Amino acid sequence: MSKQDKIIIDSDLSSFFSIKDILRYKSLLNNLAKRDFLVRYKQAFAGIMWALIKPLISILVFGYISSKINNTGNTATNFVYVASAMLLWQLFSNVFNDVSNSIIGNANLFSKVYFPKIIIPLSTILVCLVDFLISLIILIVLFIIAGQTIHWHIILAPFFILLTLINGFGIGLYFATINVKYRDVKFIVPVILQFGMYVTPVIFNTKYYLDRMPEWLHWLFCLNPMVGAIDGFKYTLFGGEAIYNINYFIMSVCVSFLFLVIGVKYFYKFERDFVDYI
Amino acid sequence: MSNGPIIKVEGLSKQYLLNKSAAPKSDTLYGNLWNGVKNLKNITQKKETVEFWALNDVSFEIQQGDRVGIIGRNGAGKSTLLKILSRITPPTKGRIEITGRVASLLEVGTGFHGDLSGRENIYLNGSILGMSKQEIDRKFDEIVAFAEVEKFLDTPVKRYSSGMYVRLAFAVAAHLEPEILIVDEVLAVGDAAFQKKCIGKMEDSSTKEGKTILFVSHQMDAVQKLCNKGILLEKGQLITTGTIVEVSQKYLESSHTSASSFDIELPEDHNEINGYAYHIQVEDEFSNPINEIPMGKKWQVRILFKINRNTPHFVIACGIKSMLGLAVQTSWSEPQDLNEGEYEALFGNKDVIYTEGQYRLVIGLSTEQRVVQYNEQAGIINVSDISSLNYDKRIINTKSALILNQMDVTIKKM
Repeated sequence: MSKQDKIIIDSDLSSFFSIKDILRYKSLLNNLAKRDFLVRYKQAFAGIMWALIKPLISILVFGYISSKINNTGNTATNFVYVASAMLLWQLFSNVFNDVSNSIIGNANLFSKVYFPKIIIPLSTILVCLVDFLISLIILIVLFIIAGQTIHWHIILAPFFILLTLINGFGIGLYFATINVKYRDVKFIVPVILQFGMYVTPVIFNTKYYLDRMPEWLHWLFCLNPMVGAIDGFKYTLFGGEAIYNINYFIMSVCVSFLFLVIGVKYFYKFERDFVDYI
Repeated sequence: MSNGPIIKVEGLSKQYLLNKSAAPKSDTLYGNLWNGVKNLKNITQKKETVEFWALNDVSFEIQQGDRVGIIGRNGAGKSTLLKILSRITPPTKGRIEITGRVASLLEVGTGFHGDLSGRENIYLNGSILGMSKQEIDRKFDEIVAFAEVEKFLDTPVKRYSSGMYVRLAFAVAAHLEPEILIVDEVLAVGDAAFQKKCIGKMEDSSTKEGKTILFVSHQMDAVQKLCNKGILLEKGQLITTGTIVEVSQKYLESSHTSASSFDIELPEDHNEINGYAYHIQVEDEFSNPINEIPMGKKWQVRILFKINRNTPHFVIACGIKSMLGLAVQTSWSEPQDLNEGEYEALFGNKDVIYTEGQYRLVIGLSTEQRVVQYNEQAGIINVSDISSLNYDKRIINTKSALILNQMDVTIKKM
């Protein structure tokens, strides 16, 4: 930081996304993420094990349901399928939920000290990502049990994890901004997530859904940005026909980036005034 | 460094829109549900709002190395000014140019987390205040020594005594190295010795390293000690700037008031807390309101307050402070259980004789030893030097001290 830093505060200036700003506050980003992570499992007897227990239970329940209904292939494979989708869905759901609450949850900070507020949701993502990486252990174990072979496509998997983060972040930012003024968000987000899981190929694959829908609903189903992320992730793990229709897949991925742009724009439009409305 | 001003403020204004009347809160579940539905219906209608200018067309310049005290009464816009300068809230109009790194200290221990250890909190708080990891690493030992918490570094701060907590929080802040430091009233916490240490540290960094400091405090003695320049605000407007001596003189004159009764600023959540005081009146011993208390006469303070719900172990306190912030006297009522209703409390002064001048009335309400309301500037009393009282035998010299009462003095030949 040079001594000649010049700060201009003007009523007409609006804030904008700046990588330089974020890099400057890198240490704050790390420390906030570290705080959230440390605090979350403090004074919990099972500690970090909870990062495994929560997704494991969902996987067991929905894996069982899915294998009962699907009836095709062997049960272990079915579980691996459900687990991969479920973990990614939970990553999305955690990011979406935590990001949308992150701004009001940290109001005590930015109402007393200046820093780019985008740091807060970004640190939230880091925490969710760490939880996700821990929960990947479940997937690895299931892979071994099912004797699933690994495809070379797996090197593309990080892209779809990133895409999931982008989904949760974009939509989450939008809701985080609304949340500043209307606390109804706190109630709406869980409802969206609960409903969302059943219109996302988590328990069943995309083909299963599309086969049971009239043609004209197909594109609507695929506007869900998590369809692209989950199908893509499954493709990198299992190859084959996970991506049911490449056009729909591309559309879904485009929606992801569209949401990201909308979320970030909306966030920055009101960012400067958060303190006055919180 | 260039020779121009380090901070240049031009035509700064800040407007707040206050909602005129939100739907009245209902006590019943049914009422609340119905209000919720009504709010949904009204969502498209614009709410009626009242404009409020917290700052109005304020312009000034600050030179490098100045230590500037921002003075003014409650609601003068001091905190708003600091918040805009620290980029926490944007101005409605106007422009500011700041040359250099700014650190603002509007609260001690921002972001401290009770579950984290002292060590973890130093890093967290430091990074919130804008320090890099390397910077904190470098100053870590110094911070710990300054806070005197070596033994408890790995204890969660929720187990700290409040003194330790504040010391640690301030120690981090005191080791910031910005070119411009913005400080708001934070020194009000902590014990006197530590306050002195902090002011000393700030003074040092200003005189030795040429740092610029902006400081807001109600403690005029602290402001006068630390600052060399002053800015006086009143109702969002700039009244005067100049040396701290001139400006604080002007402030003390302007706050001269001859009212006998004052409406107490209500806490924002006054309907939710157990109770609140809303009016204070200065009277003579026969309950007549008086603007000025003749030196040596008996006087009393009547405080009207409202209790919202059954309040066990209620205590009301009234304190008297000199204009420089020195606490002179504090009196507490006997604890008692009060139920809902309007009350008044009478604090009578029979014996203590104050010297002429102005004093601030401080009030505090508490239940079960928890503070419900606390106001540093609930009202002002004037003690006047009415000449007839110079015949009062009890007063030897009207200017000898704050309290004129005489001790028992005897002389004996040994």
